[in-house]
This record gives sequence, structure tokens and C-alpha cells, in this order.
Amino acid sequence: MIRRFFEQAYLYHKGRSAAFHAEEFVLMQLAYPLTSLIFYCLVAAYSFQTANLTSWVVGNAFLLCTHACVFQLGIVFDSDRFYGRLRSVIAAPCAKLPLILSNGVFPTIFAVCASVFGFLIGSLIFGVDFSGVNLGLAALCILGAMISASCFGICLSAIGLMSDSMHLVLNVVSYFLMIFTGAEFPISQLPLAGRIVSQLMPLTKAIAAMNGLFEPGDGAFWTLMAGELATGAVYALLAWGIFRIAERVARRSGKFDLF
Amino acid sequence: MMAVLWSTMLLQMRKSFVRPMFRFCLLANPILNTILLYEMFRNAGEENFMAYVVLGAGLMGLWSCICFSSAGDINRERWSGTLALIFVAPASFPVIILGKIIGNTLLSLLTLVISLVTAVVLYQVPLTLASPLYFLAALVGAVTAFVVISAVIAYLLTLSRKTELYMNCIEIPLILLCGFVFPVTVLPPAVQTLSRAFSPTYAVELLRMAVWGVKDAGLFWQKYLSLAGLTALYAGLSLLLARRIDRRVRISATLEVA
Repeated sequence: MIRRFFEQAYLYHKGRSAAFHAEEFVLMQLAYPLTSLIFYCLVAAYSFQTANLTSWVVGNAFLLCTHACVFQLGIVFDSDRFYGRLRSVIAAPCAKLPLILSNGVFPTIFAVCASVFGFLIGSLIFGVDFSGVNLGLAALCILGAMISASCFGICLSAIGLMSDSMHLVLNVVSYFLMIFTGAEFPISQLPLAGRIVSQLMPLTKAIAAMNGLFEPGDGAFWTLMAGELATGAVYALLAWGIFRIAERVARRSGKFDLF
Repeated sequence: MMAVLWSTMLLQMRKSFVRPMFRFCLLANPILNTILLYEMFRNAGEENFMAYVVLGAGLMGLWSCICFSSAGDINRERWSGTLALIFVAPASFPVIILGKIIGNTLLSLLTLVISLVTAVVLYQVPLTLASPLYFLAALVGAVTAFVVISAVIAYLLTLSRKTELYMNCIEIPLILLCGFVFPVTVLPPAVQTLSRAFSPTYAVELLRMAVWGVKDAGLFWQKYLSLAGLTALYAGLSLLLARRIDRRVRISATLEVA
């Protein structure tokens, strides 16, 4: 079963990336997100009139997962529908949770790589000092954040069963991540409703936890990481729930879409 | 020719508006960008939010519309199976493409209005346009520059199978290099040299000068001349590309990608 899970994960990855050459794949996974990181750090440097860009490098390095976790993972079921595979997926007599989770394996790996790369390049360009940071906890924080973001992406992909405008949904969500996670400006600037939304978003707590690692004596790391993983788990369960509903509706109505 | 241009423009505006991605770029993108940029600039000490927040968000939306529409329109025609039809139609193919791009760009100007309305309604921020006539002149120059650069990109992407990938990859770099949200002087000197090779850099500077109020008319028209020169250069490049593609298509007898 474990072997089948990883085989399925590899097949999903192959399906998503087979059309690209290695250099194009790297361009897509790293160059584009990295340019975004540099761009938003420069905007922050100019608008906040600061040379200390640590929190923006941290926030934007986490947001580098957006491409893998939101844009790639978010259109999984949309693509399944497009390529005519959705009927096999829904009608197959197998457990759907492993199938859904296997979608997230490679995007999580790439998101972790993109994030680490973002931290490295960000620290080189903007002079972020990692000398006082516990690197083990930082790695754990990145891994936890990417798992949570992947679960969020899977939930978005399940929403693809209810909407035919996934490009619109995913692009709006990518901006929500920038506005509500505290990656581009402090969450405290948002009104109360915005601060509540920010707690429901993935990455918010992981970004706060990572920022805390740069400030010795900040003891909220484990609480924040537990919160981040719980947020991811809720999104994974939500995806599973939507998929179950879609399955039931498909069997009753004889069609594969909820819209 | 004008009739073809006009009808293509109108048809393209209708076709673009029904696409969810274009609707995102046109309607949602400027609103979200205005919110994001306002929150980033609210403590910057800048009193006139028109220069970086409204103009920045509007131009980012405009450029996104261009990236995800004009740049990919030839590919979309291929996907729909209509590329061969418009290529061999009695009306000139470059005129049809130009009509599409002008239609998209004019419709995309709505992003500037949406950005302005968002800033006024949500934040009631002080907005000033000190030199409206200069702004109008700069806007005409900017629209022309965007139309021409879109044509170059559209032709460059015509024979590529990976248009979607490149469309994504050109969006942020140009926003960064052309200083849509911050002055290009923030960039390292070597990068600034690269910025000066892009016509939108001058267009953005002219628009921003007009927002703050043109104090040195000579400098304004000097930058305008640079913009006009680069735009003419790009126009020549797009014509050259159109001819090369036309020749290649006639030799290989196909409009499909390799």
C-alpha cells in the first residue's frame, strides 16, 4: 500500500511535469518564485524604508511554495476533468484519502526546496543573518509549513469539483496568502476581520514561528507550529469531505461536477 | 484597414472578458494589489498614494492583463483552430493581431480606474493628480508603448509550445525592472541599465512625474522622446518578427509548433 502510494505520487508528478525540459522545470519552480521574492523584498525595502529585510525574506521564502502548493496542486482535479480521468478517480473502488494525499507528495518536496533556496538567495542578496538561528528548528518549521500549504492546495483542488473558474480562485487565493499571512506586512495592521481570516490561512503561524527564531527568547515556537499543523490537518479533512460529497453526488446524479 | 482594426478590437474585448483569468487580471488583481500596496506603503511617509499605490496597482493589473491575454492570444487562436483562418484571411494578419492587442490594452486600462476607486472607497486616502494634461500625454505614450511591447511578445511566443510558462515568467520581472511600484534608482546600477532598455520604464516615470506635478517640462519631454524612440524600435522589431514568422509558415506550410 505504501509502495502504491508513492508510485501514485510519482505518476501525478510525472503527469504534471512531463511536458517540460529540466531547465524549464527549474525556471518554473525556482526562477519565477525567486523573482517574486526579490520584487516584494525591494517593495518592502522602499516602502518601509528599512535595510533589515529579515521578516520579508522569511515571509516571501515561505510564499515560494505558492506555485507548487496552490497553482500546481490546486488544479489537480480540474486537470483530471480536463484529461477525462476524473470518472476513473471517482468511480475507482479505492480509498480516496491516500489518493488525495499522494497528490501532495512531490509539490511538498518542491515547495521545501523552493523555500530553502529562497532563504539562501534571500540571505545572500538582502544580508539576512542566520548565525543565531537554530537551523534544526528552522528546517522543522519549513517542513511543517509546506505540509500545511500542501494540504491547503489539496483542499483548493477539491474546490475545483465545485467551480469551473479555478484560475480565478487560485489567483485570488495567492493574493490572500500575501495579504493575510503576514508575509508582506504585519498582521496587526489588518482590521479585526482580517486578523481572524489570517489565523485561518496556512503559513501565518509558521511565518510567525520562523520570525520568532530570529528573536532569542521567543517561546511560542511549538505552539505556533502545532497550530500550523492543525490548520493543515483541517484543510486535508475538508478536502476529503468535499471529495466524499462529490462522490455521492456523482453516483446520484450521474455527473462528475458539483456546478 | 480601420474597419478590420475596429471590429477585431470589439470582438477581442468581448472574448477576453468572458475568460475567468482575464476577469481576474482586470477586476480582482487591481483591487487586491491596491490593498496589498496600500498596507505596505501606509507607513512610508508618502502623502500622495496616487504615485505608488494607485498607479502601481493599476499598472501591475494592466501588465498582468497583457501577459495573460495579448501575449497568449496567437496561441489561443491555435488552440481554438482558428489561427490558420485568420492567417490566410484577406485582412492582413498583423492588423488583426494589432486589433486584438489594442482591444485588450484599452480594456485593461480599467485596472487604473478600479485601483483608484478601491483606494478611495476602502481607505479614503489623499490622491492628487498635479498635472492632468501631462498625465494624459504620458498615458497615450504608455498605452502605445504597452501595445507595441505586447506585439513583440505575442510574436515571440507564436511558435512556442510553452506559451503559458513564459507568460507566467515575464510578469513579475518586467514589473520589477520597469519600476512599477518603486523608482528604478532603488535597483543596482547594472540592473538599471537593463531597465532603461524597456519602454515601460519611461512610461511609468512619465506617469509618476505627472502625478507629482511636472516641474521640469524639458526633462518630461526628454523622457517622452526616449519612450517614443524605444517604442519605434520595438515596432520595427515586431514587424521584423511578423515577416520572419510569415516566411517560416509559408516554407513549412504549417502554423503548428515544432
